[in-house]
Amino acid sequence: MNEPATLGEALSRRGISRRAFLKYSAYLASVMALPASASQAIAQGLAKARRQSVIWLSFQECTGCTESITRSSSPTLEDLIFDLISLDYHHTLMSVSGDAAEHAREAAMKENKGKYIVVVDGSVPLKDDGIYSTIAGITNLQMLKDTVKDAAAVVAVGSCAAFGGIPHARPNPTGAASITDIVKDKPVINIPGCPPIPEAMTGTLAYILSFGKLPELDHLARPKAFFGETIHDRCYRRPFYDKGLFAESFDDEGARKGYCLYKVGCKGPIAYNACATLKWNHGTSFPIQSGHGCLGCSEPHFWDQGGFYKPLAAHAGVSAPLIGAAAVAGAAAGGAAAWIARRHQQRYLAETEAIDRSVGKDKG
Amino acid sequence: MELLQFSRGPALTFAIAVFLLGTLWRLIGILMLERRRVDAEARPGTPTPLAAAASGVLAKMWPHKTFLKSSLFSVLNGYVFHIGLAISVLLFAPHVLFVKSLLGISWPALPSNVVLAVAVITAGSLLASLVHRLTNPVQRLISRIDDYVSWAVTFLPVLTGIAAVAHIGGRYETLLAVHILTVCAFLIWFPFGKLMHAFLFVLSRGTTAIRFKQRGAEV
Amino acid sequence: MTQQTRHTHTVPGCAEPDGPTGMMHALLREIADALERFVATGEVTAIDMRGLPLSDADRVGIEQQLGQGEVSALLTVAGQSEIWETAISGVWWVRHLGASGGVAAEEIVITRLPEILATHPDDARDGLVRLRAMLAAPSADTTSPHIATTEDAA
Repeated sequence: MNEPATLGEALSRRGISRRAFLKYSAYLASVMALPASASQAIAQGLAKARRQSVIWLSFQECTGCTESITRSSSPTLEDLIFDLISLDYHHTLMSVSGDAAEHAREAAMKENKGKYIVVVDGSVPLKDDGIYSTIAGITNLQMLKDTVKDAAAVVAVGSCAAFGGIPHARPNPTGAASITDIVKDKPVINIPGCPPIPEAMTGTLAYILSFGKLPELDHLARPKAFFGETIHDRCYRRPFYDKGLFAESFDDEGARKGYCLYKVGCKGPIAYNACATLKWNHGTSFPIQSGHGCLGCSEPHFWDQGGFYKPLAAHAGVSAPLIGAAAVAGAAAGGAAAWIARRHQQRYLAETEAIDRSVGKDKG
Repeated sequence: MELLQFSRGPALTFAIAVFLLGTLWRLIGILMLERRRVDAEARPGTPTPLAAAASGVLAKMWPHKTFLKSSLFSVLNGYVFHIGLAISVLLFAPHVLFVKSLLGISWPALPSNVVLAVAVITAGSLLASLVHRLTNPVQRLISRIDDYVSWAVTFLPVLTGIAAVAHIGGRYETLLAVHILTVCAFLIWFPFGKLMHAFLFVLSRGTTAIRFKQRGAEV
Repeated sequence: MTQQTRHTHTVPGCAEPDGPTGMMHALLREIADALERFVATGEVTAIDMRGLPLSDADRVGIEQQLGQGEVSALLTVAGQSEIWETAISGVWWVRHLGASGGVAAEEIVITRLPEILATHPDDARDGLVRLRAMLAAPSADTTSPHIATTEDAA
């Protein structure tokens, strides 16, 4: 039988009704905080959409992002995303296929020219012509350029692809760069996180499929639906911050009572992500709920922010020697100014005394 | 994020260095001056210089009854924003943490929403002081650019601090960076303008009192 | 069905607040306003429960306050969904379960009938095609339409 034209037909052939789309769209509208009216549009969009060809490239990364997205499913609702996309190439998952996998990538690129989406996890090393990470003898940089050339859009998943991440951390020995540093002529969506929330990855892909356009992005190219608010603003411990109730250490009374973790280094106020609402592991918990401050892993340079346990309010490397030198210089300048002023004073006093004396002589 | 890193690091370092350099320069420069001689013979019952200075500093905390009516607003409003500034600067938890990271000392803080309320009152009081300065003919006449700059670098950290905490007008990390940068402006301006009164009011009131008391005059 | 089997995300030792937060009454008032609009104009409202900062106590409280009405349905599509009309007619509770039975989406819908319960016209058309195929087949009395189409697709 021929390929089904739309996702709706594809599901219907498997005996699944359009209710699946309604359900998925309710779920998607909920995780993306879209108005209830959008749910209807998503369901219609999905039913009429074609399966989206996706090519997944893995570069300088730890596979945590792939772990995360594959954990988004067991054969139920979240699994629908895998019916919506055709994952034509996934470097890590297909590595055992060797050469055949590379052919699959090339075939998918040819077949879906200009229409496929490239998902990238991992940063790209640029130093020394990119030799620090290669796949089948091709540097990451070359593979990215070749694959992106005919893509419709690029989705950079994980903080490494989005901002360089840990490979980019000082001193960045491989010259790791983010995808947006390299890809300039295609729309790039960043879904940072270490790893990103699975729903943020699947939700963004489903949004593109339903509406045929990119979701609204912030200034760092992150979908606002997932990265529009800080962890701090949506944190259930926020009332403790407002009341001034803080854990001072990880084993004190405040920590046991679940007080705010600001003083033990929580980066929630500057971290834009959806952990506090979507949570992890099917809504089980998120770092702050488990008693640890937010690391701000969805922000650029989170690794080089001056310490995970250092409060956000702390200065970032105020140079003590420089300030000491300034103080000494100030004291010296003050001393010198006083010395000059004293000489003026003394000269003035000597002069007035001389005048006094001469006046006294005249009178006498 | 880059702006925040810049403000928390290099900008802050520079501002603190300028603040220390300028403040020590001016303070040491004044304190090491030749003491001005008072030729008049000390009256009987002249207090020790320290006691005289202390009483002088205290006496000027409230205006003389002759001027009470005309200066009541300035004095009361002045107290409101000075106390408000002290509370906002010293008793806000993130500020305490900042001082702790810098000097290693800390003290208890007030609840954040209480400090926010105080800061709003402080900002209102500072605005009132500006309006008073602009509408009172005498004050307006004697005001120089220094007065307006000193007012601005005091008001802006309060305003941006409120904005950062209440999320008004931008993203938190941007507002926080701008807040820190306005504090940097305050620190840099401090030693060279009228903000230096925070140190100098003690010296000027003290020396005036010592000289006046020796002559038997009331301060 | 659902009153007893409440799906929560509570983990022992995690310090999420479990007491009522005052959100419950705010939400009930919002539902009342939506119901008033529905009665007056027929406007359908869906309130996303996940977007609200509710504590577990709030969720239980709201569920108890709204109660269980006459209709309840269990959907089996991409995992299960529990849908029931609350004791307040016109106020429906829609709970979609995801992986491992966790709540994937939860809505309170103010409407005559949640849309997901109704048959989509396209599905009805597909149903007709299957039924016709079944009748046309030589041994129309044997297998279920599901299996027939799955084999067909494969």
